[in-house]
Amino acid sequence: MTTQRTIELPQPNMESGNMLVNIGPQHPATHGVLRLLCELDGETVIKIDPDIGYLHSSFEKLGEYRTWNQIIPLTDRMDYLAPLMYNCVYVMAVEKLMGLEVTERCKIVRVLCMEMERIFSHLLWLGTTAIDVGAFTPFLYAFQERERIYKLHEAFTGARITTSATRVGGMMADLPEGWTDQLKDFVYTFPDTLDEIENLLTRNGIHLGRTQGIGCIPADEAINAGFTGPNLRASGVDYDLRKDRPYYDYESYEFDVPVGTKGDCYDRYLVRMEEMRQSLKILDQALARLPDGRINVDDPRVSLPSKTDCMNDMESMIHHFKIVTEGIRVPPGDCYFAVEGSKGELGMYVVSDGGEKPIRWRVRPPSFVNLSVLPQLAEGHQVSDLIMINASLDIVLGEIDR
Amino acid sequence: MPISTKIMERPEAVETSYLRAALKGMKITLKHMLNPKKVTQQYPEVETRLHPRWRGTHRMEVHADGRPKCVACGLCPTVCPANCIRLVGGEDDQGNRYPVVYEIDEFRCIFCGMCQEVCPVEAIHVGQDFENAEYTRERFVYDLDRLMNQDHPTTLLWDPADPLSE
Repeated sequence: MTTQRTIELPQPNMESGNMLVNIGPQHPATHGVLRLLCELDGETVIKIDPDIGYLHSSFEKLGEYRTWNQIIPLTDRMDYLAPLMYNCVYVMAVEKLMGLEVTERCKIVRVLCMEMERIFSHLLWLGTTAIDVGAFTPFLYAFQERERIYKLHEAFTGARITTSATRVGGMMADLPEGWTDQLKDFVYTFPDTLDEIENLLTRNGIHLGRTQGIGCIPADEAINAGFTGPNLRASGVDYDLRKDRPYYDYESYEFDVPVGTKGDCYDRYLVRMEEMRQSLKILDQALARLPDGRINVDDPRVSLPSKTDCMNDMESMIHHFKIVTEGIRVPPGDCYFAVEGSKGELGMYVVSDGGEKPIRWRVRPPSFVNLSVLPQLAEGHQVSDLIMINASLDIVLGEIDR
Repeated sequence: MPISTKIMERPEAVETSYLRAALKGMKITLKHMLNPKKVTQQYPEVETRLHPRWRGTHRMEVHADGRPKCVACGLCPTVCPANCIRLVGGEDDQGNRYPVVYEIDEFRCIFCGMCQEVCPVEAIHVGQDFENAEYTRERFVYDLDRLMNQDHPTTLLWDPADPLSE
């Protein structure tokens, strides 16, 4: 017996002569399949109701029917703008629950991946946001640079977006030969493009006019709303998990946490531009301290034996079969692990009953929380500003709907 | 404290001349026009180069006498996160196990490569190929013969030849 529920849609106030306008779900300016129901008085936004769920894929529920390692391909499909970061966070949460310490090389490789993904995600944000305010050129330059990171993904993991590169206890494979040189080349040449884009936008009168004073949110309201990441820092709160709750030795890296002053779209732009530069700084330091050695932990509970061993040695073969068919056993308990994602605090909560599958897997989604503030930010602004505010929040619908 | 907070300075909205902004943009565009970076790939006229680790269409390795290397151990259907492999094992008169049915639904497949990662005899591989368009949906379910007749190179991941990829 199923019960049918009706969803209340906002009704326009007909007496006032307001209009109900539907933006999306198939609209490029909504950055995904987001539907915005807007009540408009002429050009002014009176009320907005974001309608989500068009990309709902039930990832969290699917995870309950997958073994611990099989969930990894689900995580990169959630945020397709920073796939490696989601891969890393998920396994980091599982490793924390298992009490597993990964190797030093693996730590640095994951830091490399996560900072690379921050740039990767911010570049897409930069390009599409610039397009939303009418600047087409930065989009092309940003995507040229993104293509180089795609190439790095491809060289390391064999796929451009659906990387699935991590495993519990390490990575799918070690870095290929020459990969660090490619990344170094990117780290040294990317600032040129960034300078060029800053030349086009930072002091551009048109861009200033479209972003300054638009979508302001003061620090206390931003904290109340649950903002995290660059959006919160644009309001002047220097909350960064890399600084305040360091993981993977982030406290030993030297970098700045950029904060804004007013919390408008322009501050969000400035903060993200600076974050890309700071990520390059971290990448540079991490590349310098990348040690040799094993990338996967030497722990028979999680690591598969090497292919050569597996094919030549009976004990390794039995071990291999046991891990694959029984899955990894994670001790009972629950665990929350969060990192500073490209869009905010990205957390994974896993609950285990000691079996081969999680009984609950929950994601703390940064963009979902950030999107919830959109109605408050956009009210009273023009429709064209609504597009800018929505773009400046940097949402990704795959992760909002999950 | 190596991590410090940096307050971003906001330029005042003095440069309100839209013409100046447009001209500045044009300058950068013209610079790129005179000194272009060639980034556009002329696909399909020019063949795309895939990295050796590319995870694409599957391929089944064969012995010298034409039998598939697969021993129907059942690890790949167990580990497949997308449940796209169908395997029915059998035994020949010499007691060797072999796959009676081995089908991969390339539509369901998400190309994570876990099948190759767990294969203990290096039989199933993901390969450096992505041009697998077909006219009907049925053609996307690759049977054993078709998997054995694929001739593209296989991925370098999980290849004992390359110790970096395990």
